[in-house]
Amino acid sequence: MSENASFVFSGKLRADIFVEFARHRAARLDLAIDIGSVSDEAIALTVRGASELVDAFEMACSLGPYQCLVLDVTRRDGLAA
Amino acid sequence: MNSPSNWHPLALSHSLEAGSSAGTRLFGKELVIWRDTGGLAHVWEDRCPHRGMKLSFGFVRGDHIACLYHGWQYDRGGYCQYIPAHPDLDVPKTFKVPVYSTEERSGMIWTTLSENPADAPEDRGDTLPLRSLYLDCAKDTAIAALGAVSLTPFASQGQADTTVNRVTETLYEVSSGQEGLLIGVQAVTDNRTALHLAIRGSRELFQGSGQRHFLDWALRLRYRIEHPRDTASAPRGATVEVS
Repeated sequence: MSENASFVFSGKLRADIFVEFARHRAARLDLAIDIGSVSDEAIALTVRGASELVDAFEMACSLGPYQCLVLDVTRRDGLAA
Repeated sequence: MNSPSNWHPLALSHSLEAGSSAGTRLFGKELVIWRDTGGLAHVWEDRCPHRGMKLSFGFVRGDHIACLYHGWQYDRGGYCQYIPAHPDLDVPKTFKVPVYSTEERSGMIWTTLSENPADAPEDRGDTLPLRSLYLDCAKDTAIAALGAVSLTPFASQGQADTTVNRVTETLYEVSSGQEGLLIGVQAVTDNRTALHLAIRGSRELFQGSGQRHFLDWALRLRYRIEHPRDTASAPRGATVEVS
């Protein structure tokens, strides 16, 4: 089943590195991704694709790249159009 | 120039049974060689895209190979077709292992790392597998040593001159009279080389005693390459012909 999920990853981030990491993971998982607001404290984004792979994306980004420390994740689910 | 874009032998065909896999390296790059139960050989990057486990530790089922770690199954094209933890998932095409062109010629499994490979080496006719030798030396050292070997024929009477024919940059033919060996040269790493040896000719003529005869020669060859200062058993000189 396909779904939309909106995330906010917050913590001690380096925005450029985190966004690159998120785009790479989304591509690997065959997810569409829209990047929202971006800062070194919080990054908002939305992904769309198979629900199992959205879960895998959340897991990957909650660990994050080596240079970033993710302290909190908020997620809001909604079925894809 | 001997480069990754050329065709390289990775194993003797007989050493890889149907339904099995093995790991090897070429220029240091880790590769898995596996043979499906239909008999077709495959050479891939030896890494599952999921968690990086070596696929050479995996298991072959039919025309798929599955990773030992989480059981992800890959088809002949390298595409993941099934994830046990998500059996209903339509696996995206992005879950793919890099695959390399693979051919079996002259009793050896060949591959190239090039995306646009030239033709694979021409088949040299009937062969009988001898063995693969793994040497602690660079490939150029091994190739140079081939230029100084002397081969005693098994079935023929008398002693003929030994010739070493460079068939390609990675395949050499050592002959004495009508008999000869094919030697595929694999650059495992910068300082490790594999020689894959096959007897040129029919199984009926060389199986058993003939294999033991040439195996003895091959083991002495390895000793000479790895102990170049021991000249007591140095081979006679041989001519090297380039074709």
